[in-house]
Amino acid sequence: MQPSLNEDQIQILEFLDSLSKPYATAPLHDTSFALHSDELDRELAEGGFLDVMAMPELGAATAALVAERLARLPFAVEAAVSALVRPLINPELPRPICLVEEGQLRKPVRFLKPGATVVVIGAETVRTFIASADLVRSAGDEVLFAYPMAYLQGVPADARHHDVSADEVRRAWRVALAAETAGLLAAALQNVSTYVSERKQFGRALATFQAVRHRLAEAQVATNGVYWLAIRAAATADAGDAALAALHAQETAQKVCYDYHQFLGAMGMTLEHPLHLWTYRLKALTADLGGRGEQALAAAEAIWG
Amino acid sequence: MNFEWTDDQRAFRRKIEQFLEQSLPADWEEFSRHGPASPELTEFARTFCRQLADNGMLFPHWPKDAGGEGLGPWEQQILAEVMWEWGEPRGGQYMNVNWIGPTLMKYGSPGQKDKYLPQIASGEMLWCQGFSEPNSGSDLASLRTRAVLDGDVYRVNGQKIWTSYAGLADTCFLLTRTSDDKKRGITILLVPMDTPGITVRQIPSLIGEGDIHEVFFDDVEVPVSQRLGEEGQAWEIIGYSLTNERLGIPRYHLARAALDRGVAMLKQAGDFDRAPVRIEAARCAALCEAARTAIYAIVQKRADGQAIGAESSSARFATVMAERAVCAFIVECLPEALAGGSAYLQMHHQRGIVAGIAAGAAEIQLNIIATDVLQLPREPR
Repeated sequence: MQPSLNEDQIQILEFLDSLSKPYATAPLHDTSFALHSDELDRELAEGGFLDVMAMPELGAATAALVAERLARLPFAVEAAVSALVRPLINPELPRPICLVEEGQLRKPVRFLKPGATVVVIGAETVRTFIASADLVRSAGDEVLFAYPMAYLQGVPADARHHDVSADEVRRAWRVALAAETAGLLAAALQNVSTYVSERKQFGRALATFQAVRHRLAEAQVATNGVYWLAIRAAATADAGDAALAALHAQETAQKVCYDYHQFLGAMGMTLEHPLHLWTYRLKALTADLGGRGEQALAAAEAIWG
Repeated sequence: MNFEWTDDQRAFRRKIEQFLEQSLPADWEEFSRHGPASPELTEFARTFCRQLADNGMLFPHWPKDAGGEGLGPWEQQILAEVMWEWGEPRGGQYMNVNWIGPTLMKYGSPGQKDKYLPQIASGEMLWCQGFSEPNSGSDLASLRTRAVLDGDVYRVNGQKIWTSYAGLADTCFLLTRTSDDKKRGITILLVPMDTPGITVRQIPSLIGEGDIHEVFFDDVEVPVSQRLGEEGQAWEIIGYSLTNERLGIPRYHLARAALDRGVAMLKQAGDFDRAPVRIEAARCAALCEAARTAIYAIVQKRADGQAIGAESSSARFATVMAERAVCAFIVECLPEALAGGSAYLQMHHQRGIVAGIAAGAAEIQLNIIATDVLQLPREPR
C-alpha cells in the first residue's frame, strides 16, 4: 500500500502543468459555450501525455492523474478516454475517441466530429469505426453541455470488431469518467472558493458565512473522495472499484453543481464567469453509462454478486 | 501509487485475525453487544489485552525501546481495522496504546514513565480523558475546571461531562485551568480515579452501556508530581496527542463490515435482488471506500514522516458520511437487525451516532476544512 505520487508522477504532472499553462485561464467574451483548443489537443498528443498508461513504470494510475489534471482546465480536452480506454482497444486509434453504448444513439456524443473514432460498446462486443461526415449531425447551438457534441446518425455494418472484453472497456470507461469528473470538481470548487472569498455582502466576504463554508467544505470532502476512488480504480483495474468511483463521481457532480451556481448569485447565471465550463461538463458526465443508478447496480453486482 | 497490501501487511492482518479466531469466546458476538465501555467488556479486556501484549499485538507500533515492535502507521491502521471489525475486544485500551502511551513517552517525567508505561503495556490499566465540560464542548479551550497550587498539591474543583470509560477507569488524563490565559492557561494532571473528592455518575445513553459519564471534582488533591509537562503546556501536548490519534477509530472499515453483514442477511432473506436495495447498498459502499481512500492517503503521509494537516478533518468527515449512510441503509432495509436480529449491527448502529459528535464535532471539522483546506477567510468572532 502506497497511495502517494511517485517521483515519475510528480514530474509528469509538472510537465503537464507547464504545457497547459497558456490554457489555464479562459478567454471570455469571445468563446462559445464549449471552450475547446485544437492546439492544446495537438500538444498533449505530441507530448505523449495520453500514452502514459502503456509505460510500465507509469501505468493506468498515472493516466488517471493526467486525465484529472487536464479536466481542471477551462478548455475541454478529449484526454480521459484516450488515456484510459483507448490502450485497451488499440493504442493507435485516431483521436478523438468517442464512446457510445449500443442502442443509445439518441444521446449526444462528446467530441464527435468527422474523422473521430467511434467505439460502440455492446453487451458482449466492442466495435470501432471512423466517423464519416454523413454519420455526424451537428447539435448546433442548442447543446447545454460545455463540450463539443454531436449526434451519431448510425453505425456502419462494417464497423471493426475488437477482441477485447466489453466489460473491460466499460470498466475503463468508468475509470475515465471518474478521473475526469474529479478534475472538473476540483476546478469548479477552486473557482467558487475564490469568488466567495472576494465577493462581499453585508460588509463581509460571502465565504465568512457558515452556510456557505460548510457546504463548500462538504463538497471538498466529496471531491477528495472522487479523486482517490478514481486513482485507486485505475491502479487496481477492479470492476467494483471502477463502478464505485464512477458512482461517487456522478453522485457528487449532481450534488454540487446547483450549489456552486447558487453561491455565485447572479454572477452564477452569466457566461462572464467561467464556472459553467466545469459544471456544464459535470452535468454531461452524469449521463454517461446510464447514470448513477446503473453505476450503483454495476458496483453491487461486482461486489456482492 | 499503489493500492495493494504487501505480503507482510496481509500476513500481519491474518495473524491478528487468527489470534482473534482462537482467543475470543464462542459467544463473542453476543457478548460484545455490551460495548467497549461496559463493565463486562472492560473486565474481559483486562485479561484479553494481557494476552495481546504477550503476543506483541497490543502496541506493535510503539518503539522497540518502549517494548513495542517498532512497526509503522500501516500496521497500526491494520490492527485498528481488525479490532473494530471484530467488536473492539480491547475495550477502552485502544485509547491508551494509541495516544496516551505515546504522549507519556514524549512528555512524561521519568517517574511517570516508570509508573504508567508498564501498566499500559501490560494492558491492565484503563484511562479516561477528562476533556469536555458542561459549557466547554467544541469550544474546549473555554474549560473551567480549576486546579490551584497549594504547597505540593493542586486542589481541583469543577466538573467534566460525557467522559468515556470514567466509571471503570483507573486514571484520568485531566485538563484543568491553572490561569486565565485561554489556551496557555490549561494544565494536564494525571489523576487516580480513587482520589477522595471524585464522584462519577453514569449518563444513560443511546450508544451503549457505561459509555458516558459526569465526573465531579470536589477539592480533589493531586500531587504536583502528577502534572504532565509544565503548567500551561496542555494545548501543545494535546496537539501532539492528536497527531497520534488524528485518524480516530477506523469507522469506514467498521461501516463497510456492517454493510457487508447487512447485505449477507438480505441475501439470506432473498431480499437483495431488488434494484432500489442494491443501489442504496452500493451508495453506502462508495461512501465507505471514499472515506477509506482519504484515510489511507493520510496514513501514507504518516508513514512518509510528513506532517498531517487539515486533510484529516476532511477524511474524518468522510467517515461520518459513510457511517450515517450505512446506519440509514440498515434502518431502511433491515429494521429487524436493530430489534434483536443482529447483535453486530445493533452495536454498530448504537455507535454510528457517535461518529459526528465525539473527538471533535463534524461541524468543527467542516470549519477546519473551510479555513485550512479551501483557504476561505475566517468567520468573524
